[in-house]
Amino acid sequence: MTMDALRRTHWIARITFLEAVRQRLFSFLLLLGAALAVSSVAFRFLNFGHGELKFVADFGFGILFLFGSLLAVVMTAQLLYAELDNRTALTLLAKPVSRSEFLLGKFLGVWAVLGVFIVLLCSILAGVLLTRAAEIAPVAEAAGRVPPSVNAAGLAIFALLQWMRLGIIAALTLFLAAGARTFLFSVVAGMLAVLGGQLQWLAQDLLTKPDVGFFQRSLAWFATRAVPNLQQFNIGDALVLESAGAPAGAAASALLAGSLHLLAFLFLACALFRRREI
Amino acid sequence: MKSAVSIRNLTKDFAVGMRGLKLRAVDDVSIEMPAGQVFGLLGPNGCGKSTTLKIALGLVQPTSGTTSILGDGAASPEARRRTGFLPEAPYFHRFLTGRELVRYCARLSGVGEDGLDDAVGRALELTAMSSAADRPVGTYSKGMLQRIGLAQAVVHGPELVILDEPTAGVDPVGAAAIGGMIAEMRSQGRTVVLCSHLLGQVEQVCDRIAIMDRGMVVLQGAVDEVLAGRDRHLIEVSSLTREAESAAREALARAGAVVEGVSRPRRTLEELFRELVTGSKDA
Repeated sequence: MTMDALRRTHWIARITFLEAVRQRLFSFLLLLGAALAVSSVAFRFLNFGHGELKFVADFGFGILFLFGSLLAVVMTAQLLYAELDNRTALTLLAKPVSRSEFLLGKFLGVWAVLGVFIVLLCSILAGVLLTRAAEIAPVAEAAGRVPPSVNAAGLAIFALLQWMRLGIIAALTLFLAAGARTFLFSVVAGMLAVLGGQLQWLAQDLLTKPDVGFFQRSLAWFATRAVPNLQQFNIGDALVLESAGAPAGAAASALLAGSLHLLAFLFLACALFRRREI
Repeated sequence: MKSAVSIRNLTKDFAVGMRGLKLRAVDDVSIEMPAGQVFGLLGPNGCGKSTTLKIALGLVQPTSGTTSILGDGAASPEARRRTGFLPEAPYFHRFLTGRELVRYCARLSGVGEDGLDDAVGRALELTAMSSAADRPVGTYSKGMLQRIGLAQAVVHGPELVILDEPTAGVDPVGAAAIGGMIAEMRSQGRTVVLCSHLLGQVEQVCDRIAIMDRGMVVLQGAVDEVLAGRDRHLIEVSSLTREAESAAREALARAGAVVEGVSRPRRTLEELFRELVTGSKDA
């Protein structure tokens, strides 16, 4: 990629970012997510026997994944289809802008917005967790128990992992939208792909069983390669609440595998979009 | 004569429906658009004008045939760097101001930071948008949208400007102003390709035209040539009395001319409208 191409991609990403942060869906999900994260302390009686901080953290992680995935799928598809339906894409692609630059610009703009979403929600979650940990600690010490702790650095790594996870979802949706004819199809297929990514362990589980037929084994093998394993990013508890932290290399391994999936989906999206008639 | 746009044996089929039935939108079209002139591409809705232009710009793949812009392949970045395009019914990011939009398009078209402000200023001035340049695009009228669209198309100083229905939805005063801008671009040595339904305007500003119908070119040539086919002439006079008319008829007859009829030419409604209405603020 030349410097000129990078500049053009940067400008498309910048305008996409400005357009995305103005969307009502972004403001709505951010405000709702923030409100739920703050109010999670009020629901701590639903902790099912686990520690209070673990409940609050899990609640926050769940909100981040659910709302973040919804935002990544809908916003990616919406921003691409808005350009195609409103014919702003015609104006841009008639300039010396390649289709790959256009698509990468759209992706980077959306990914930047998802980054803002994650940073804001993780900051709120950190505030809630640290405040609650400070309140619980004296009570736990008085009762002779180990006081709970929150690992802020672990939360930062967790935020980075979630950004990668949402980036994969956005790239996957972009790939679907680049070839699909309708916005609705892209959103539905994108959400199903997210569900498939969360359930990828089923295919991994199938591969470990000795009595599985060739066809099923092949299908499971393909699924483990083609569908990104979104569960590998679920190490928030270990990173944030456990003093021992996550298993060594788990975060790095998830980031590396995630990067490969993200690049592969972007490459496929560009290849598909090159032949699309605008 | 050097061609700015060369279209040879162009055919485009679109697949329609689940069964992939083919609809021929452009059928063996060949057009040469000379450099430095205003070329009008005319035809009814759905006759293949926009598809032809999109293929020329590399936005749609042809089924067969070739197109080139300023000697380069249509889809090449170099060809598009030297071309400006205003699509039909343009829509732009509503939250940007006119100036921000034109700057954005200038950057995408390769205008460097050094000359950016000058280029943007010139484009806004040409399109008479300087005074409204700092308002959000979302507040613009249709006429202003067309003019800011024109500004983004010319901001990088292209040699070729392609305008698809630049006067659609614009009132006659605004349309006349856009006609003036096209004439100004021609005087600057640019080639302009104009797709329009306003035949009067096309006749005024275009040097050459091609008329398309059902995907095919049915007529092309210089405007003067294609319109001057009939052996008829018009002499416009004022204060014509009965005596003067008789004398003129006799004089013409003596010179061998045949007077077919004498009538009072009517003004067109467009001419009357433009005489009475000097222009709204946001036309």
